[in-house]
Amino acid sequence: MSFNLDRREVLTAGAIGVLGTGVQAARLAPSISKAGFAAVVKAMQAVVGADWVFADPDSLHPYTKSYVPDPHHAHAPVGAVCPETVEQVQALLKIANQYKQPLWPVSTGKNMGYGMTTAATPGQMILDLKRMNRILEVDPDLGTALIEPGVTYQQLSDYLAENNIPLWIDVPTIGPIASPVGNTLDRGVGYTPYGDHLTFQCGMEVVLPNGEILRTGMGSIKGTNAWQAFKYGYGPVHDGLFTQSNFGVVTKMGLWLMPKPPAYKPFMIRHPEMGDVGKIVETMRPLRVASLIPNVNLMMSAAYQLAMFNRRSDVWSGEGSISDEAVKKAAKANGLGMWNTYFALYGTEQSIAAIEPIVRGAIGASGGEVLTEAEMSGNPWFHHHATLMRGGLSLEEIGLVRWKGNGGGLAWFAPVAAAKGSETVGQTALAKEILGKYGFDYTAAYAIGWRELHHIIALLYDKSDPAEELKADQCYREMVVRFGEKGWASYRTGVPSMALVSQQYGQVNRDFNKTLKHAIDPNHIIAPGKSGIV
Amino acid sequence: MRLGSSLVAIGMLAGATAASASQALGHTQAARPPEKIYAVTCGYCHGTNVGPIILGRHLPPASILFMTRNGRNAMPAFRPTEISNAELEKLAAWISASAANPKEQGK
Repeated sequence: MSFNLDRREVLTAGAIGVLGTGVQAARLAPSISKAGFAAVVKAMQAVVGADWVFADPDSLHPYTKSYVPDPHHAHAPVGAVCPETVEQVQALLKIANQYKQPLWPVSTGKNMGYGMTTAATPGQMILDLKRMNRILEVDPDLGTALIEPGVTYQQLSDYLAENNIPLWIDVPTIGPIASPVGNTLDRGVGYTPYGDHLTFQCGMEVVLPNGEILRTGMGSIKGTNAWQAFKYGYGPVHDGLFTQSNFGVVTKMGLWLMPKPPAYKPFMIRHPEMGDVGKIVETMRPLRVASLIPNVNLMMSAAYQLAMFNRRSDVWSGEGSISDEAVKKAAKANGLGMWNTYFALYGTEQSIAAIEPIVRGAIGASGGEVLTEAEMSGNPWFHHHATLMRGGLSLEEIGLVRWKGNGGGLAWFAPVAAAKGSETVGQTALAKEILGKYGFDYTAAYAIGWRELHHIIALLYDKSDPAEELKADQCYREMVVRFGEKGWASYRTGVPSMALVSQQYGQVNRDFNKTLKHAIDPNHIIAPGKSGIV
Repeated sequence: MRLGSSLVAIGMLAGATAASASQALGHTQAARPPEKIYAVTCGYCHGTNVGPIILGRHLPPASILFMTRNGRNAMPAFRPTEISNAELEKLAAWISASAANPKEQGK
């Protein structure tokens, strides 16, 4: 082991660089000494083997990669440990309790734009669950699966394809390397009718901080065959407590999978002006609320779309934020409008033929052009969204992080409002004002999940430039605070801003979470700082 | 052009999938051949409008290994839990020795 930090130095300096690999800020947690940490590493090696504990800067380096701003080097972990079984997770939690070493669980660690394998507070070890990647059950009749946290969407998709099981998966935008368990636990979303991942989750196995194993829903009934079929069991519903939280380590999760429909038809609606987004929301909401459109309605701004497949320098060389005129010109050249709304119809040829005219009639009245494969074949943006809306796999959105150059900076800001068109006017204006103040671009989308409106803003910056990283951090925090003042709070945020966002949800909410945390995890060993819960 | 390259990636994926054994229920993922790893990880970006082309450039295996583990610039880093050391060694050699695929679209 080549871990060689002097704790006093670290505490006084705040952050240090080590061994010339660029690893910074390996600060130990306040609850543990250097000798204690060395003992933790040794004890953990005895559980998982020396190859699966990382505590020296070189081997830890892959865990320090992150797209979110971290100008003060506060989020890099001090180590990582990689169990392969539930029993090993239990043994590691015992060690963590003994030495008071906090562990930050990740499934596949690809929560891009939210922090990947970095933690909310200094001194944590990453509990890397990627090796636990068993697909435990798939029931083709019920359309259910039971999987471990390290299973990727790619693995699940491959399994279904190779076994000719006609079930779809529902992916976030970076499905191949992300995990259904991790995404669901962070309350992520996808683009088919099963896109609200927590809604379509059914049953969890959780290792509690004291090592006990809790199975939610029907999972604790001996002989049940309904663990993945009935969500609620009896008494309080526990599953939500283990999402965006730090009350346990989820080691199994049930999912509902959508039967592959006989017919699928993706659509794009093109609107020409930035100001059109309010009337798009008003047009789409009734269709979505009534489930005539069964999947999320995604309204992509032209700048967001362009940023996927272009570099900023291709379309803008001016000072400050890219102008609407420059965006419009580039969008037009690529077959895009200023807003591009994507949705799909699923069912049979007959059911789609019955619904399509109703949808077209409503959308036509909003001034949008309704486009399908017939008109958009060959358009990479249409193809991208048509892929996502059938649960197809793609990493094309990673292109976003090259918009500002090669530096790779991305932080998602995602405030929520009711799905009312009037909300978009103030939100877009405020976002453009704050982003403009720092010289960043309004690369954003709106999404109607069901009755709510998510404003999904990609803060894109060049992380290789420390000054720009600092600006990005300041810009993000200003957006959180100023949107919050108007009642627009985030549904999810990255590791640097978890405490800030949690404050907006109020002291009673924070105190309740704190009470739960202390009762369940008295040594505070699981992910302190997750969602602002210490 | 861009659509074409995306379809190529899907085709490569399907080909790799057909050639590899299914993951057995209840078992962890077995070691994968380089072609499979390229198709389900690297090829989604390097060849589909996101990252630069890496096939046919005879990049030194050591550089590929370093880039994979460190995730330089916009590239994410991949940990040994995602691509094992043994898998990565073979993958780096395979990428280094591979001919260019003219159907890929770099960026």
